[in-house]
Amino acid sequence: MSAEHGGGHGPELAPIIKAALPFLHSIPDTVIYTWIVMAFIIGVAFLASRKMEMLPRGWQNILEMTVDGLSKMIEGNLGKKSRKVVPLIITFFIFILCSNYSGIIPTLKPPTGDLNTPVALALIVFFTIHVIGMMEKGIFGYWKHFIEPFPLMLPLNIIEELAKPVSLSLRLFGNVMGEHVVVAVLFMLVPLFVPIPMQMFGLFTGTIQAFVFTILTIAYLTNVMSEHH
Amino acid sequence: MELVQAASVLAAGLAIGLGAIGPGIGQGTTAGKAIEGIARQPENSGDIKTTMILGMAIMESLAIYALVIALILLYANPYKG
Repeated sequence: MSAEHGGGHGPELAPIIKAALPFLHSIPDTVIYTWIVMAFIIGVAFLASRKMEMLPRGWQNILEMTVDGLSKMIEGNLGKKSRKVVPLIITFFIFILCSNYSGIIPTLKPPTGDLNTPVALALIVFFTIHVIGMMEKGIFGYWKHFIEPFPLMLPLNIIEELAKPVSLSLRLFGNVMGEHVVVAVLFMLVPLFVPIPMQMFGLFTGTIQAFVFTILTIAYLTNVMSEHH
Repeated sequence: MELVQAASVLAAGLAIGLGAIGPGIGQGTTAGKAIEGIARQPENSGDIKTTMILGMAIMESLAIYALVIALILLYANPYKG
């Protein structure tokens, strides 16, 4: 179930790149768009950290603001132990934000609009939660919470854990993909000016969804890292 | 074959249409309550806004499930043969 059908949306970059570089022909389109987003993020990070100054300006200022604000928020929720998850969560935020925004550039498709990318991110979150839970409370102490408050709750608890990655990934995928399809349909009906408000709304949703993914990850981690459960 | 296609299109429309009702009502209630809270205590607006957006996003995912099911019915229908 890929995002191929939203189409009718002008030319796309991935087939052009594949025609120019034939050895890439077996790589899925989404991976190529992911590489473009990665190149953008790496480029910005390089520009920002090439000559750092005490008084930040330009790119360095933007990055410092993002990282500082997010790590304060994470530390407010998780306390002192937050240091080992801060890099992961901020990386997710920046990557999801940039992928969502890449959808408004003509010829690009947002990588998060393909179900594979959100599922990969959600699976990373899923395993991180369990591994960090076991590191915090010990293996037995962690798995014990599946049979609390009493053993009959075991199936419900397992379903709850499995629903986390499903809802995380489907929420991100549905929002980005839905917005992309709506813009494509508007573009098909009225090509001039009419899709612009919807695209601006898409920018708003993209920010909100990146933020929600981050907040929910923090909330799940708070559950397993807090002492009293 | 054509019957399956017609039924799929109808079902996709019904799925997203009916699935949008519940989250719509819920989000309306949430936004109204949040505005009441901000009007009563403007100094707490930051907290209220964050909580409201988080709650709304969780409601939103119900509508998104309906959308995903509608998209599956239209584009990845297993019964189309």
